[in-house]
Amino acid sequence: MCVTLQISCRKNLLDQDPTTELPANVFWKTEADAVTGLMGAYAATRPCFDRDYYFDGQGEYVRARGTSTTSGNLRLGDAYNNGNYDPTGYASSFDKMYRYLYGAVNRANYVIFNVNKMQAEGTTASAATLETILGEARLLRGMAYFKLISMWGDVPYFTNVVYENTTVAELARLPIGQVKDSIMADFTYAFDKLPTKASALGRATKPAALAFRGKLQLYWASWNKNGWPELKGFTPSATVATTAFTAAAADFKSVINNYGLTLYLNGDAGQIDTLGGADILPNYYNLFTPKANGNSEMIMVFTHGGTGTSQGEELMRDFSGRSHEGSQCWVSPRYEIANKYQSTVTGDFVTPLIPMNPTTNSAARTTLNSAVNPKSYDNRDYRMKSTIEWDYEKSIGMASLASTGLVPFIYQTWAIAVTINGVKYTTYNTDGCNSGYVFRKFVRNYAGQGRSDGDFAWPVMRLADVYLMYAEATNEVSGPQADAIDLVNKIRKRGNLPALAATKTANKIVFFDAIEQERIVELIGEGQRSFDIRRWRTIEKIWGGPGTAGVWRIDTYGANQQRYYQNTSDRTYQQNYIFRIPPTERDKNPNLTQNTPWE
Amino acid sequence: MKKKTLYELFIKAMRITIAQLLLAICFTSMGYAHDAKAQGDLNQKIYLQVKDETFSKVLKQIEKQTQIRFVFSSKLIQSTQKVNASFSGEPLSKVLDNLLQPRQLDYEVMEKMIILKKVGNQKTFSTDVLPATIIKKVEPIIPAFAVTGQVTDIKNEPLVGASIVLEGTTKGTLSDENGRYKLELEDDEKKGNLVFSFVGYDKVVAAIDGRYVINIALKEAGILNEVVVIGYGSQKKVNLVGSVGTVNVDEKMVGRALPNISSGLSGFVPGLSAVQASGMAGRNGAALLIRGLGTSNNSSPLIVVDGMPDIDINRINVNDIETVSVLKDATSSSVYGSRAANGVILITTKSGKGMKKTSLNFSSNMALELPTKAFDFLANYPLALTLEQQRAATSTLANNQRYKNGTIDEWMALGMIDPLRYPNTDWWDIIMRNGALQNYNLSASGGGDKSNFFVSVGTKKEQGLQINNDYEQYNARFNFDYKLGTNMNTGVKFNGNWSNFVYSLEEGYTDPAPTNTAGFDMQYAVAGITPYDPVSGNFGGVMAYGEDPQAYNPYTVYVNNLNRQQRKEAYTTMYLDWSPIKGLKGTVEYGLNYYDQFGWNANTPNQAFNFQTNSFGSRVYVGPNAGVSNNTFSGYKTLLNGRLNYNTNIGKNHEISALVVYSEEYWYDRFQGSSRNDRLYPTLHEIDAALTDIQTTGGNSSTEGLRSYIGRVNYNAFGKYLLEANFRVDGSSRFVEGQRYGFFPSAALGWRFTEEELFKPVLDKFLSNGKFRISYGTLGNNSGVGRYEQQSTLASNNYIIGGSVVKGFVNNKLINQFLSWEETSVLNIGLELGFFKNRLTAEIDYYDRLTTGMNRPSDLSILLTGAYDAPRTNIGNMRNRGIEGTFTWRDKIGAVNYGTTLNVSYNATRLEKWNQFLTRGTIFLNMPYNFVYSYEDIGIAQTWADVYKATPQGAQPGDILRKDLNGDGRIDANDQKAYPNLQRDRPTTFVGLNTFVSWKGIDLSFLWQGSTGRKSFWINAFNNVNFSTSRYAVTQAHVDNPWNLENRDGLWPRLGGSGNNTATTSFWLDDMTYLRLKNIQLGYSIPPRLFRKLGVSTLRIAGSAENLLTLTSFRGLDPEKEGNNNNLYPINKSYSLSIQVGF
Repeated sequence: MCVTLQISCRKNLLDQDPTTELPANVFWKTEADAVTGLMGAYAATRPCFDRDYYFDGQGEYVRARGTSTTSGNLRLGDAYNNGNYDPTGYASSFDKMYRYLYGAVNRANYVIFNVNKMQAEGTTASAATLETILGEARLLRGMAYFKLISMWGDVPYFTNVVYENTTVAELARLPIGQVKDSIMADFTYAFDKLPTKASALGRATKPAALAFRGKLQLYWASWNKNGWPELKGFTPSATVATTAFTAAAADFKSVINNYGLTLYLNGDAGQIDTLGGADILPNYYNLFTPKANGNSEMIMVFTHGGTGTSQGEELMRDFSGRSHEGSQCWVSPRYEIANKYQSTVTGDFVTPLIPMNPTTNSAARTTLNSAVNPKSYDNRDYRMKSTIEWDYEKSIGMASLASTGLVPFIYQTWAIAVTINGVKYTTYNTDGCNSGYVFRKFVRNYAGQGRSDGDFAWPVMRLADVYLMYAEATNEVSGPQADAIDLVNKIRKRGNLPALAATKTANKIVFFDAIEQERIVELIGEGQRSFDIRRWRTIEKIWGGPGTAGVWRIDTYGANQQRYYQNTSDRTYQQNYIFRIPPTERDKNPNLTQNTPWE
Repeated sequence: MKKKTLYELFIKAMRITIAQLLLAICFTSMGYAHDAKAQGDLNQKIYLQVKDETFSKVLKQIEKQTQIRFVFSSKLIQSTQKVNASFSGEPLSKVLDNLLQPRQLDYEVMEKMIILKKVGNQKTFSTDVLPATIIKKVEPIIPAFAVTGQVTDIKNEPLVGASIVLEGTTKGTLSDENGRYKLELEDDEKKGNLVFSFVGYDKVVAAIDGRYVINIALKEAGILNEVVVIGYGSQKKVNLVGSVGTVNVDEKMVGRALPNISSGLSGFVPGLSAVQASGMAGRNGAALLIRGLGTSNNSSPLIVVDGMPDIDINRINVNDIETVSVLKDATSSSVYGSRAANGVILITTKSGKGMKKTSLNFSSNMALELPTKAFDFLANYPLALTLEQQRAATSTLANNQRYKNGTIDEWMALGMIDPLRYPNTDWWDIIMRNGALQNYNLSASGGGDKSNFFVSVGTKKEQGLQINNDYEQYNARFNFDYKLGTNMNTGVKFNGNWSNFVYSLEEGYTDPAPTNTAGFDMQYAVAGITPYDPVSGNFGGVMAYGEDPQAYNPYTVYVNNLNRQQRKEAYTTMYLDWSPIKGLKGTVEYGLNYYDQFGWNANTPNQAFNFQTNSFGSRVYVGPNAGVSNNTFSGYKTLLNGRLNYNTNIGKNHEISALVVYSEEYWYDRFQGSSRNDRLYPTLHEIDAALTDIQTTGGNSSTEGLRSYIGRVNYNAFGKYLLEANFRVDGSSRFVEGQRYGFFPSAALGWRFTEEELFKPVLDKFLSNGKFRISYGTLGNNSGVGRYEQQSTLASNNYIIGGSVVKGFVNNKLINQFLSWEETSVLNIGLELGFFKNRLTAEIDYYDRLTTGMNRPSDLSILLTGAYDAPRTNIGNMRNRGIEGTFTWRDKIGAVNYGTTLNVSYNATRLEKWNQFLTRGTIFLNMPYNFVYSYEDIGIAQTWADVYKATPQGAQPGDILRKDLNGDGRIDANDQKAYPNLQRDRPTTFVGLNTFVSWKGIDLSFLWQGSTGRKSFWINAFNNVNFSTSRYAVTQAHVDNPWNLENRDGLWPRLGGSGNNTATTSFWLDDMTYLRLKNIQLGYSIPPRLFRKLGVSTLRIAGSAENLLTLTSFRGLDPEKEGNNNNLYPINKSYSLSIQVGF
C-alpha cells in the first residue's frame, strides 16, 4: 500500500517540528544565547513598568479615566489592564500586576539559572559578559520584587526556575524585611557587576542599580518611620528608619556625584514661546519626547521601538486626544494641578485661579486670574507649559502620520472651527478631559508615528528623582542640608524658578513640603505620586479623614466633576494603603495570608 | 381498473423521478441510430456444416461467424423443420438464398442485421423500430416473444413510468399512462427474470417462465429497505445497531433558499442542533452540535464528506448532496474514533450509480431576504439630544450639560427643510437593503455497466442585508467510477470551489475582537450625521454644537473600509478496489484537500465633512496614507487509507462482515501576510502600489499527523440478532511520545424482536417492525491541544536596544508529559418501532455521554501564570444525558399523500469533575456549563419608600431593586441565584416538526422548529439605559420604555440611573424559548407531457419561505442567535422561488 502511494506514507508522521519556535534544548550554549535570553527578560519586565503613569490617577492631580491597555496582551499593557486608577478603591484591582511582576521574576530566574549553568559547565563566553548579564537579570528581578513589596507588603519569594506548579503552589508570604534583604542582595550584585556606562541605550548600568538600592532603602525607611499598620507582622522602627535613610542618602549621593550624570541639558530651562505659541518649548518638554532618548538624566529606562517594530509605547494614545492620531486621552491633568505651578517672578505660589464658565459669563475670558483667561498662565514655572495645555494653548495635530497643523485646546469644544488672531484653526478634539486641561508632557510635537508606535525610552529612574530622594533622605536624617537644597534648586531652575526662599528651607517640615512640591510638579505623570502618598501616609491629609465630606475635583468652569472620600470608612482608607493579595490565589493556596484590611 | 382522466394520470406521473422519465425517453428512442446500408455484409464467407439442426440454431451459428443478427418472427420458422447443409467459403448471400428460398422466405439487409420476411409481404414495420426507407419493402417483425402487463400499486392504482428490465441486460421499458407495458423478448430470453422497479416502492423480480402477461403490484418501500450511509460503508437501516439520523437532500431541500447545508439541517435530526448566529452573507453557517456540549474544548462534530474528514460543510454545494448522516453514538461513530467524540456528520454526494442513462438537471433558486427582526435606531436627532439631556440631568447641572436647548430647537426647525445640514438620518434604512440569494445549478449524471458519473456546476450569490456584504461561490464536481475488470473498480471524486466574499466588519455591523476598539461603534451612530452627499462626494461627520466628533458614520465604514476574501478549495479522492475472491474487497483510497485563501483590504481615504460650515471636521475616517494589506492562507491535507472488507454468509442464517482500515492523515497549513502604508493612488490595491517606507510582514506554518487503525465486525443471525463491534486506535503528533495513541472501542447489540416467531401472533396485528438496540463505547478528542503545544520550545520576545530590535527568547512552556486524549464514553439505548404496516414509525434513544479527562489548561499558581502558559491536563468530566425521539406518520388518503415527522430531543449537560478551584460564576460542579446565574430583582422602585424598604443598594426611584438573597444586609456578588436547568448559551430542548402533503402534482410542506431551556440577559450596547453622555444612537425604545415620573409603568429603569441597572439582573433575563416556522414550501410539478417536445422530463416550481413566523417572548433581535449579544446582524427571513428542470 505504501509503495503504491509513497507521497503520503510518512515515516515520521507523528513527529512534527515547530517552524517558528526554537527547541529549548539547543539554546543556552553561547554568549549570544545568553544575551538573547536576557533580552527576553527585559521584554518581560518592561510591561510591568512602562505604564506606571496610570498610577498617578490614584493621586490628586491626574485623572486616568481608563487605559489604552489590551487585555491578554502583556506588551500592550495587560499588567495594568482592569486596574482602578481612581484616588480611592483601587487596591483590589491589581491581580494582573501581581501576576506579571512574578512573570518578570520567573523570566529573570530563568536567565540567572541558565547563565549560572553556563558558567558552571564551562563555556567559551567571557566571564565578564556573563556576569554583566547576571547583574542585569538580578537588577530586573530586584525591581520586580521591589514593586511587589511596595504594593503588597509581604510577598512569596523564590529565585529558582519552576518546572512544576507544585513547587510554588503552596508558597507562603515572606516577611517584607527578608524580601527587602534579598532585593538588596540582587541590587548589590548588579551594582558590583554592571558597567558604569551602558554599552547601548536600554542596557542597565551601575548607577541604575545603585539608585534602585537607594530607593529601596528610602522606601524601607519611610515604612519604618511612618508605619504600615495594614501589613500584619510589620513593626516599624525609628532606628531602622534612620539607618535606612542614611544608607539611602549615601547611595543617592554616589549616584549624583560619581558617574558624571547631569540633568538634561545641564538643567537649563531653555526657551519658552509666548502664551498660545507652541513653536518653542522648554527643555523640560523635550526631555519627555524620544528626541531626548539616551540623555544621562534617564538613569534607567525601558526602551521602545517606533513604527514597524511592534514595540511601541502608547504615551500619545493615553496622553493626547483625537486630534493626535486619533488618541484617546485616557490620562489628563486635573484642574487642581494648575495652582501648583509657581510664579517665575516670585518663586512662590500665585493667587489661586478662579474657575469661570465662559458660556454663561462673557467676562470669563478676560477676568483677572480666571481659569479660562489665558493670561492667568503667564510667567509660570516653565514646566507648566511643558506639561499641560490650557485654553488657547496649541499643539501639533496629526493624522495619518502627517501633521495637520496646530490645534488650539479650548475646553468643551471638540474640533470646532475657530479663528485666533485671524488664523483659522480646528480645536483640539477630545471627549476625554473633564478638568479644562490636557497633557502636553509625553505628547510628541512632530508627526510620523502612530498613537501606538512611540519610541520613547520610559524612565524608571531619573536623576531629578534621585536629587529629590536624596534631599528627602538627608532631610529626614538631619534636616535641610545645603547640598540637598542646592539639588532642589537645580530642579527648580529647570522651571526657570528662582531658588527656594529661605523660609522654605528653614526646617525639616517646610523643606519636606518644598521637596514634595517639586516631586508633584517635576514627576507628574511618571507614576511616583501615589507611591509617595502611601509611603508618607498622607491620604487623610489630602482628602480628609474618615467620615468627612471628602473633596471635589472641579474643572476650569467651576463645575463639580467628582467627589472623592465622601463619608468614607476607616476600612477604605486602610485598603487604600495596601493592595489586596489576589483572592483566587488564596483560594488555592492555604498558606497565603491576606493583608489586614482585605481579610 | 376504473377509467382515469388523462389529467389524473399526469398527476400520478409527477411522482416519477427525473431519472425514470429520462429512462423512458431513452427507451422509446432506441433504434433510431440504425443505418440502412450494409450490403458488404452479404459478401462474407461462410463455413458451415450442419446435420439435422433446427433452423434457428443454424441462423445462430451464422450470426456467430458474421456478427450479423437475424431478426424474425418465430412464426415464420417451424421449429420442427430440420436443416442439413454444408458451406465452405460461399458468400453469405448465396448461403441465405440456399437456406431461405426453400422456406418461402425473403430477407432484407440493414447494417449488421438481416430481417427475415415472407416472400412478397409488404406489411410495414412499426415506425418506432425501423427507418422509413425499408418500411415499404419489409414485412413487420412479429417479435419472437412479448410480455405485456400492468404495473400498479397494492391498491391497484396504476404506476406510470415504472421500469421493467430484463435482469442482467439493458433491455427494458417503462409503463405507460395506464401503467401498462409491453416488452419484446427473444426466444431464449423467455427463461429470464423481469425486474420491476419504481422509486419509493420495493423492487420485484418476476420470472417470465413463458408467460405473456405479467401483472405486478408493487409495494411501497417501507423502512425495511432503507439504506443508511455509515462510516466506510452503508447498511440497511433495519440492521443498524447505532444511533444514526439521516437527512435526504431531496427536491424539497433544494427548493429552500438555503445559503448552506448546515443551516438546512435545523429541525431534521433529533439531537442535532444547528443554530445560526447571524444572517451575514458568507458567515451564515449554523453552528452544529450533537447531543449537547460534550467538552469545553471544540465540541463541533467531525464533518466527513465522501470519506474525507475536515471539510467545510458550508462550502459544499447543497445540490450535490445525496444524503447527510448524523452519527450520534459510539458505535456508529467509533470508526472515526479520534475526533468523533462530538459525533460525526457524514455527507455523501451524488453519483450516477444505477442510472443506466444520462440525465441532465437544472435548478435555480432565487430568494428575497428580509430581517426576521431589525433594530430601530431613532431617526430623530432633536429627540435623541433631548434624551441625552434627560440622561445627563441625573448628575449634571443644565449649564454644564453638553447639548444646549438652542441646538435642539434649531435642529427641530431646520431639520424639516434642510436635511443635508440638519439631517435626521435613519441609519438602519441607509445601511440595510433587501438581501438576495440566487442559486443556479446544472448537473448531469449517468451510468452503465462499466462506469457511472455525476458532474455538476453551481453558482451561489448572496447579497447580504447589509450594504456591501456580498458572497458568491462557484462549485464544480466530478464523481466518476469505472469498472476495470470483473473484480476491480476505480473511481475519482473531484470538487473544486471558489468564493468571493466582501464585508466590512467581522460580524457585519460589529466586531467583537478586543483589538478593534471601534467594534461596537454602531451605538454611536447618531441621527445628526449626513451619511453621504452625492453632490459634493463628501461623507458626513458631526455638526451639532456639543456633539462628540467621534460620533459614528457607519455608512462611510461600510463603503470605504471593506475586507475582501477569495478562497479556493479543491478536494480530490481516488480509490481502487479489488475483490480477489467472493466477499473480500480491498480498497486503497487517497485524498487531497487543498485550500488557498487570499484576503486584502485597501481602505479608501475620506474625512468627516461638516455641511453646516462647509469644512472638514477633525475626524479622518481613513487617512490619506491609507495602505493595503494582504494575507494568504494556504495548505493541504492528505488522507491515505487502505481497507479490507469481508462479507460472508455461514449457512442461511448467519451473516458476518468485517472491516479493517489503516489510515494516515497529514495537515500542512501556512500563512503569509504583509501590509504597506501609503497607497500610490486610492484606486490601486496591490502591495506593489504602495510606498515602501512603512511595511509589515508575517508568516508561519504548521503541520500535524494522525495515524489510525480501525476495525469493525458485524454479525447478523437469523435476521434478528445483530452484533457490532468496532475499535479505532489513533496516534496524534500533538502529544508527546508515549501519550500519542488512544484506543477507542465500542460494541453494540440489536434485537429485531418482531422477527421472533414467538411474538409474531401477538405483535403482527399492530407492530410491523420492532428493534431494540444498545451500544456502548469510547471516543476521543484532541482538539484542545495546539499542534506544537506539547513540545518544549522557546518563544520569541524581542526587545529594543540602541534603538533597534534585538532578539529575545523566553520560555513560556511547562509541559505536562502525561497529557493525552480526551475520552468520551457513550451509552446509547434505542428502540425502533413501526406500527400499522410502518405507517407510524417511532425511534427513541436514550444516551448517557461522559467525557472524561477533559483537556484543560491546568490550574497554575498566579506566581507562574505571568510567565508560563498553563500546561494542559486531562482534568474535567462532563456528562450529557438526553433522550431523543422521532415519530413519523405517513399515509395516503385517495390521491393525497401526507406525512409528518416530529422529533424531540432533551439534553442535560452537567459538569461533574473539575479539579481546579471554581470561583463564583457560571461554571460549577453538577451544573450545566455556563448556567444562568443572576441577581433577582423586585422590579423598579416607584418611590423613595420602595427604596428604603429594600436592602440599601444606592438606588433611587426609577432604579431596579435587587433582592438580598442571602440576607446579609447588602447586595453583592453573593446575592446571585443559580439556575440548574437553564443554560446561557444553548437550549436544552429542541423540537422539529416536518409535515408534508401532496396531491397529484402539488406538494406542500411545513417545517416548524423550536427550542427551550435557554435564558440570557438582554443587555447589549444598543439598549443601554446608562448610555454615554454624548454621541449615543438612541432607539425608539429609549423614548418609550424608560421609567420616569410620567411613565411609571415604563418597561426599563430610568435613564442615567444607578449603574446596577445594567447588571445581570433577572429584570433583563429573557426566556429564549421560541417556535419558528422554519420553512414553508409549496411546489407544483408540471406534467412533463406538456414539455416533452422540448426534451423536458420533469419540471417543478416551488415557492418557499424561511423563518416566516417566530413565536417568542425574547425582546432582543432573535432568540435563535448564538453568541455575542451585541451582534446586530439579523437572521434572514426569505421568500424564494425555485425551478427544477430535468432533461
